[in-house]
Amino acid sequence: MNGDVFISIRQLRKTYIMGRVRVHALAGVDMDIPAGSFTVVMGPSGSGKSTLLYLLGGLERPTSGQILVDGRDLSVMDENALALYRRSTVGFVFQQFNLVSSMTALENVAFPMRFSGIRTGERLTRARALLTQVGLATHLKHRPTEMSGGQQQRVAIARALVHNPRLILADEPTGNLDTVTGYSIMQLLSELHQQGRTVMVVTHDPRMLRFATHTVYLLDGRVVSREEFEKASALPQEEKSAG
Amino acid sequence: MRFLDYLGLVFYNLGRRKGRVALTAIGVVIGTAAVVVLVALASGLQRNATRQFSQVGNLTLITVYPKYGEVMSQPVGGGGSGGSGQPQTKLLTPQAIAELSAIEGVAQVIPRDSLRGGARLVAGRMETYPFIMAYDTPDLSVFNFQMKEGVAELKRGEALVGEYLAKGFNDPRWRPGQPQPEQPEILGKQLKLVVQKFAQDGTMTERVYSVRIAGIIKQRMDETDYGMIMRMDDLTQMNEWLMGKRINRNKEGYDMLYVKTTDSKKTTEISKQINDLGYQAYSPMEFIQSANNFYTIIQIVFGGIGAIALLVAAIGIANTMTMAILERTREIGLMKAVGATNRDVMSIFLGEAGGIGLIGGVGGVALAWGLAQVINVLAASYLTNPVQFGGQPPGPAAYIEPWLPLFALVFSTLVGILSGLYPALRAATMVPVVALKYE
Repeated sequence: MNGDVFISIRQLRKTYIMGRVRVHALAGVDMDIPAGSFTVVMGPSGSGKSTLLYLLGGLERPTSGQILVDGRDLSVMDENALALYRRSTVGFVFQQFNLVSSMTALENVAFPMRFSGIRTGERLTRARALLTQVGLATHLKHRPTEMSGGQQQRVAIARALVHNPRLILADEPTGNLDTVTGYSIMQLLSELHQQGRTVMVVTHDPRMLRFATHTVYLLDGRVVSREEFEKASALPQEEKSAG
Repeated sequence: MRFLDYLGLVFYNLGRRKGRVALTAIGVVIGTAAVVVLVALASGLQRNATRQFSQVGNLTLITVYPKYGEVMSQPVGGGGSGGSGQPQTKLLTPQAIAELSAIEGVAQVIPRDSLRGGARLVAGRMETYPFIMAYDTPDLSVFNFQMKEGVAELKRGEALVGEYLAKGFNDPRWRPGQPQPEQPEILGKQLKLVVQKFAQDGTMTERVYSVRIAGIIKQRMDETDYGMIMRMDDLTQMNEWLMGKRINRNKEGYDMLYVKTTDSKKTTEISKQINDLGYQAYSPMEFIQSANNFYTIIQIVFGGIGAIALLVAAIGIANTMTMAILERTREIGLMKAVGATNRDVMSIFLGEAGGIGLIGGVGGVALAWGLAQVINVLAASYLTNPVQFGGQPPGPAAYIEPWLPLFALVFSTLVGILSGLYPALRAATMVPVVALKYE
């Protein structure tokens, strides 16, 4: 961790219009994330944590506010520039893995490199090395349906690394995995952080906090303190016991 | 994205859903085959018509006749006489020949004359009545006579005869019930040509000439078939005896002129120029060009009918691609998440739609080729064969021009691409997050 600000967010708002209802997913978020940090974003469902991740990854556009990643302002980028930003700077890991079911593990990992104009030989070499790195050297020819959830998520992590991105964004990466497997995935992400990458993980699993260098708590689209978050998280249980 | 990677991805994606692609492509196969076969039928008709015209006449030859009795507004050059406002006759005199020879693109002007009286050709007991003509040229190759027997060259006292004339001799003493006499062997034989002159009081005088048959011309579907071709000096001698005077070409001209052009493409234009000079000119090229215009319209109409089937197939492609995009929405989101641009996504789906069109096009061309072979075999077997009546064998009924398969492939691919335009545009403009969350 070098301490320089890698991500700077100012007054970030995202509002969805659903018919006549306006849903404020993010209601003025400010934060600075240092380069090389491992940030865990905690929050209950609907708190806006996934929205924050997608905005950081350039998959969505903010309603207002500014997002600077490595000095580049995402809010002013056009579609093409955002695609190039996603290709060069960001690696995504999704809860649902999002692997192409007809492709083998090797082909899935090599897939993003088609869009960068990397030749077939180099694509396969790089994909093979990454799958070896995530412990799947013996599963290169396996299709997603022939692998466990943990193995699929490892393939997804390997795919996220193909362009050697500086930022890894993971949306509930352990959400579909059992406890042990989920823990091993978090360890893998932690290793990537230790290699110098900036990692941001969205989760509502508090056990993941042990890997974090930074923690962000979100409630109703706002960044809150740990105390406020814990108080809000505990409230329903107290109400339940009282009832 | 590199082009080969792009192509690889397109065909990989098509290969993932072979059944659906095949079913969709069948529509394109039928549409393309319909276009190709119908256009091939129109082409076959056109080629056969052109072929028949070409057999009737050399496409570089213009036939020029004199023009009689028209009132001219001003005198024109060449033959003829008289002044403004007087009935003008444009005779085919040596001056007219010089005038026509001077037209750019004219290679040769050949006068033709015919016997101005009756004649019968006698071979032993057999005889026939030829139409006798002569061309004033030592080289008959310009007429492209195909010889059944002998050679197409004439010395003095020699003649060429048409195929039908050669086998049309009859015995004037033959009576019903008697065996049919055999046709005489006339090639190389010295025959009697009896020229008949009728006086005003009806009395007939005959003069006998000796003629050696130098060759028999194959059937040409024109006057040559029943004709006899002699040298101009031999014919002029007979005509002078018939008319009882010497023939002055400057005053009487020739029956007809053949104008040979240097290029069949110039024939129509030169024919028009000759008409403008006051003569009557005709060329088979004019008929062919009119016929070509007609058959081009037929081709367009036939192609249009086939294109309706292709239009239906296009709707099938659009439907298949729309379904594919719905099913692959998350995949589209993933592509965008890993750095594919809108253009990349659009190209992939357009490529897949075009690929279906191309596959269908290849199948359609192959099917059309097979159908054309079947049609040609059936046409050759069942349609009237002019060979039975002495004509030339017909060309293929369905003729696939060399450009047609290529056109069909490009067209079917374009139809595919156009059909995929809307679905591809939808895919390209999807918001990545919405696509990733699609259930």
